[in-house]
Amino acid sequence: MPSVTFDHVTKRFGDVVIVEDFNLEVADGELLVLVGGSGSGKSTLLRMVAGLESVTSGTIRIDDRDITHLAPRERDVAMVFQDYALYPHLTVRDNLSLGLKLRKVPKPEIARRVAWAAGMLGLEALLDRKPKQLSGGQRQRVAMGRAMVREPLVFLFDEPLSNLDAGLRAQMRIEIGGLQRRLNTTTIYVTHDQVEAMTLGDRIVVLANGTIQQVGRPIELYRDPVNRFVAGFIGSPPMNFIEGRLDRNGGAAFVADGVRVELGGEREPVPVAAPVTLGIRPEDISLVAAGMATSPVSGTVVLVERLGGTSHVHLDVGPNRLMAAVSQEQLPAVGERIEVYVPSARVHLFDAGGKCRTARP
Amino acid sequence: MRAEARSGTLLSAPYVLFLLAFAAYPVAFALALVLMHWDLVTTPSFAGLDNVKLLATDTRFWQAVGNTFVFLGLHLPLQIVTALALAVALNRPMMFRAFWRAAFFLPVVISGAVVAILWNALYATDVGLINALLVKAGIAPVPWLTDPRVAMAAIAVMVTWKNVGFYVIIYLAGLQYIPRSCQEAIELDGATAWQRFRHLTLPLLLPQTILVLTLSTINGFQLFIEPYVMTGGGPLRRTFSVVLYMYTNAFSYQKMGYAATIGVALAMIIGTVVAIQRKVVGTAEAL
Ligand SMILES: Nc1ncnc2c1ncn2[C@@H]1O[C@H](COP(=O)(O)OP(=O)(O)OP(=O)(O)O)[C@@H](O)[C@H]1O
Ligand SMILES: [Mg+2]
Repeated sequence: MPSVTFDHVTKRFGDVVIVEDFNLEVADGELLVLVGGSGSGKSTLLRMVAGLESVTSGTIRIDDRDITHLAPRERDVAMVFQDYALYPHLTVRDNLSLGLKLRKVPKPEIARRVAWAAGMLGLEALLDRKPKQLSGGQRQRVAMGRAMVREPLVFLFDEPLSNLDAGLRAQMRIEIGGLQRRLNTTTIYVTHDQVEAMTLGDRIVVLANGTIQQVGRPIELYRDPVNRFVAGFIGSPPMNFIEGRLDRNGGAAFVADGVRVELGGEREPVPVAAPVTLGIRPEDISLVAAGMATSPVSGTVVLVERLGGTSHVHLDVGPNRLMAAVSQEQLPAVGERIEVYVPSARVHLFDAGGKCRTARP
Repeated sequence: MRAEARSGTLLSAPYVLFLLAFAAYPVAFALALVLMHWDLVTTPSFAGLDNVKLLATDTRFWQAVGNTFVFLGLHLPLQIVTALALAVALNRPMMFRAFWRAAFFLPVVISGAVVAILWNALYATDVGLINALLVKAGIAPVPWLTDPRVAMAAIAVMVTWKNVGFYVIIYLAGLQYIPRSCQEAIELDGATAWQRFRHLTLPLLLPQTILVLTLSTINGFQLFIEPYVMTGGGPLRRTFSVVLYMYTNAFSYQKMGYAATIGVALAMIIGTVVAIQRKVVGTAEAL
């Protein structure tokens, strides 16, 4: 199983820098997820590995082989496109086998691999259909199959599920995860759906403006985001942010209009009164009966969304809007003034530059 | 409702009149002429099936049909291959692309007679540019329009040149519809440039190919101005096309009834050939 190494990779379109000094090693058999906002350079990175986009400087290697300047067909990578890119004039069977035919794989071997992929993906009954006669999920499977039969060194996925509806997306996400674990093929997976990122990735790379913000296991990024961008990007629903400052009268506390959160434990010192942003995840906030909280945050309920299992309670706290994700049955009414509990152990503090000052080392 | 129907009738009236005057009337007139003798001067007289019987045994007519098929046999493959190749070439990024596209389209809008005169000069055996180049390259000059074996081929080449720009536009439009991701997918699947063309571009252009084939077949059967201007149907009647023969009967021999019979026969031949082509090549629905 091969690894993929990005070594000081930079990509420019004209004068515009899209990816800057990108360094990363994707391990053998790893599923690495690339996430980031629209235009952050995810597709560009993937397409550079595929050879569909040139590299301005730096090198990309698969194992020890420098592939930076090889033609796409010499790289032995397979890609699943967002629009599937199935060949419209060919049947499912021919869609699967064309790549092997072009590489002069013997016929019995082609038949064997097509049968294997079709069996794994449940495509047996569809082999003689054209792409036009398939549903979105079936097309997605054919696209996967076309990548699988090639038995490539590396799989590349560019938002493969974004054209599917929510239910199918969840199902295909699970299938892709299962397949990748069984095949154990090194995979780079681009998405901006953070649920896909959290559930599929062995590691996640968060990208902004073509530079790496943080690399790590999903749970690390969730627990210890290194900056405000990652904190806001990973986790759903997204983290709440409150602008304020630190107050050291009688112990460190975060204060903002209507908010006072006592901060226990050892912290990297942040200068008092410097603008500080507090981050707290909706699922870490709990509703408490009035007068019960040790460091109360009080606000007015503006919206209650019941999702069945959990509910989202939105409140106005001074000029800030907070959202709590709670699982209790008893919920406050809109307009009610309530207190919420913000546990200091779950609080993230960000300095004026967005850097997280509470991250565990 | 009735007001709407009335305005519908009114709006379509000009087109209906146009159709009646310039399509239905001439067709009906030609069909009627098949059964007539008419010299353009005296009143037409009823001829029964005289014209049809004459046509069946007229070796000059059947020779013209054969000549036209020879022309099509050379012209159609040449036309499709050149249009396709040029379209693929012009679809790539290049300097002055708009200029090149316009340049290849220009002959389409030039009058056929002008093009024929121009190519007459190019094909001239002693002073023509083509033979001058051949001689420079150390090859013996070819009597393009006077050798019975090459005259029709020479005409096929120039007709192809004249019309290629039109068919290039049809193919260029088709190329726009080939998804970029499919081209990238086949590249990753291991295709060379030729394999990409063979396995993706060409099959996806089938609807355009059928259109180009049909249009150039219909157009090719009407071959007239080039032999009329350049060879007069010679040498040895080898370039005498069906339409040229029809024209000769109508305006040299004043046999309007017989000329109309040739025209109707030609229309039937065109219809049959196009129908056979569609059967063989398949229809665009196959995609
Ligand atoms: N061929 C090109 N020429 C110029 N700029 C380009 C080109 N391709 C992409 N870009 C720019 O590069 C940046 C990164 O594009 P890229 O497609 O990699 O983003 P992305 O992270 O995949 O975004 P999305 O989530 O919307 O797919 C964008 O700002 C885009 O406008
Ligand atoms: Mg993208």
